[in-house]
Amino acid sequence: MITGITGQDGAYLAELLVNKNYIVHGIRRRASLFNTRRIDHLYEDSHQSSAQLFLHHGDMTDTSSLMHIIQKTQPDEIYNLAAQSHVAVSFEEPEYTANSDALGTLRVLEAIRILGMEKHVRFYQASTSELYGLVQEIPQRETTPFYPRSPYAAAKLYAYWITVNYREAYNMFACNGILFNHESPTRGESFVTRKITRGLARIKFGLQNCLYLGNLNSKRDWGHARDFVEAQWRMLQQPSPEDFVIATGEQRSVREFIDAAAREMDMQIRWVGDGVKEMGFDSAGRCIVAIDPRYFRPTEVETLLGDASKARAKLGWTPKTSFAELVSEMVREDLKEAQGEELLRLYRQPAKAGTHAVASAS
Amino acid sequence: MPTALITGIAGQDGSYLAELLLHAGYRIIGTVRGPASASHERIDHLRGSIELTEANLLDQHSIEKMVEKYRPGEIYNFAASHPASSQSFRDPVLTGELNGIAVLRLLEAIRAIDPTIRFCQASSAQIFGNAHESPQNENTPFFPANPYSIAKLFAHWTTVSYRHTHGLFACSSILFNHESPRRPERFVTRKITHAVARIKTGLQKFLRLENLDARRDWGYAADYVRAMWLMLQAPVADDYVLGTGETHSVRDFCRIAFDHVGLDYRQYVTEDTESHQAEASVQLIGDAGKARTMLHWRHSLTFEELVRLMVDCDLASVAQQNTNRIDTLAASRAPT
Repeated sequence: MITGITGQDGAYLAELLVNKNYIVHGIRRRASLFNTRRIDHLYEDSHQSSAQLFLHHGDMTDTSSLMHIIQKTQPDEIYNLAAQSHVAVSFEEPEYTANSDALGTLRVLEAIRILGMEKHVRFYQASTSELYGLVQEIPQRETTPFYPRSPYAAAKLYAYWITVNYREAYNMFACNGILFNHESPTRGESFVTRKITRGLARIKFGLQNCLYLGNLNSKRDWGHARDFVEAQWRMLQQPSPEDFVIATGEQRSVREFIDAAAREMDMQIRWVGDGVKEMGFDSAGRCIVAIDPRYFRPTEVETLLGDASKARAKLGWTPKTSFAELVSEMVREDLKEAQGEELLRLYRQPAKAGTHAVASAS
Repeated sequence: MPTALITGIAGQDGSYLAELLLHAGYRIIGTVRGPASASHERIDHLRGSIELTEANLLDQHSIEKMVEKYRPGEIYNFAASHPASSQSFRDPVLTGELNGIAVLRLLEAIRAIDPTIRFCQASSAQIFGNAHESPQNENTPFFPANPYSIAKLFAHWTTVSYRHTHGLFACSSILFNHESPRRPERFVTRKITHAVARIKTGLQKFLRLENLDARRDWGYAADYVRAMWLMLQAPVADDYVLGTGETHSVRDFCRIAFDHVGLDYRQYVTEDTESHQAEASVQLIGDAGKARTMLHWRHSLTFEELVRLMVDCDLASVAQQNTNRIDTLAASRAPT
């Protein structure tokens, strides 16, 4: 069972598990727009006997929905990936973030316990490098003390410890994967990496003039989500439950990510100025990257770098995708998308004029 | 006149703080669980000098209405579900709500209504849990080991984060065990002193305790709330560990308590070896060096004095109950 199956990681994990012949049950929130785009390619009509993927409506803030789904589906493994996962949004919606990310995790653990499934269910908690926040040592390992700096991080800290506690108090097979940033072409458009590749691709096709970003100096350890969900699965196949840092061990700044993405698109960015005045110009002298202080976090997490030695030693896990390959894949997909958008725009242009004429005539 | 809002005013700490602030000339608003008109033994003697209000800390609107209405200059948050960790295991979601998210709501209310309000969160030394170093100070990493302390840790970091992010004068006081005659009887210290008074007066024969060798850092509650008040008078907001820096065993506590009434604890106390909970590998001892230096905080009672004070109060209250019982008995037998 996967909570948060409609998200980036949920979709990659669902694909991994379907390929391993699992029956996958996913929990999704009801929303007014379709939110299953990332898993549509895995979905078969549930009436087909070959169907392996089933979706259920539920919500991390609704105890009874979680209880009901877990009871009905009797999973062997539960991957808790559902969360309000955007750090900046957590400053605006702290209570909702705490309710879904912190207490939501507890609700799943409690459901397992109350249903008497704690002896055989294996539980994975999606913890995060944001727990390290104001980092206490570099690089960060499983033993590095936490210093959360956002409502998101405080909520995830609660979820981390409650997972440890259920492992110790009830002998549950419960693990935390402390995942550093992991990206992909299906990363949400408001996360910085995707915002960059999508923005530059749209600029290249003339769909957008400028990309506005926050702190270009933030340093992150960026891996590929496809590799990282593999580590999640491996954690639950271990003889005993433990917590693991999952990271690439390489660090780059947001500015370096922009440069790498631009190079992939045969664009050159010339940086001028610094601080909030910093701007990136293309070869034609147009400003295509600028700073919008609105995107600064109230409390910045400057640097994150993970040491995944333990995962390498115990899970035999190493990232397969290099930074260059990650950027290249994201750029490729966003160029395709921008190209599609551009074609659609060109195609619609004359029609749009016609529609307008009809509208005014009526 | 400065105004202070004390959540959980009917508890041990809330009641001591109310007395301290009344003495310092504050207007005091206190929240209680359930109807404000109900009796709350620890603050009944203050009725008339403090204002009680019912607030639902699970509801943002209820909190904001209260803050808006009273406009306190200082808020002290003692409201919490009880730290007896067995309850935190029984209803962990509610514990997370009351001890964790409620603090977030209070801070959000301060941010929305008046960011100059000073806030002091009562954190617990239990957030150190299975700490790897001893004694613990403000820089010691946290290893909480039950749902209560995990919720308290969430509240601690949320307090720190609102100070850093929003510039609030928000402080977290990390309190080691603090006792007093107002400690509820389910806590071992009060259980002992209450039993001593009853054994001395012939109402009870034995006292059954779990682990006589368990050691704790025990201080006097009235001193701890004074430190919290000092924290909010300081020029800058910060977090402080509050403890005595020394530990004593439950056995030490028993010896001093029984000695005080001329009895030998070994004749009355039995150890229940079966229900032993595993003791943490590292001792929890509070290093309050920072509070001593920065706040000039001092303890008013030694450990021995604290134990004797608690025994004396329990003796007095048992005697009072006896008098009442005799009165009732006499009244019931009196000819009508």
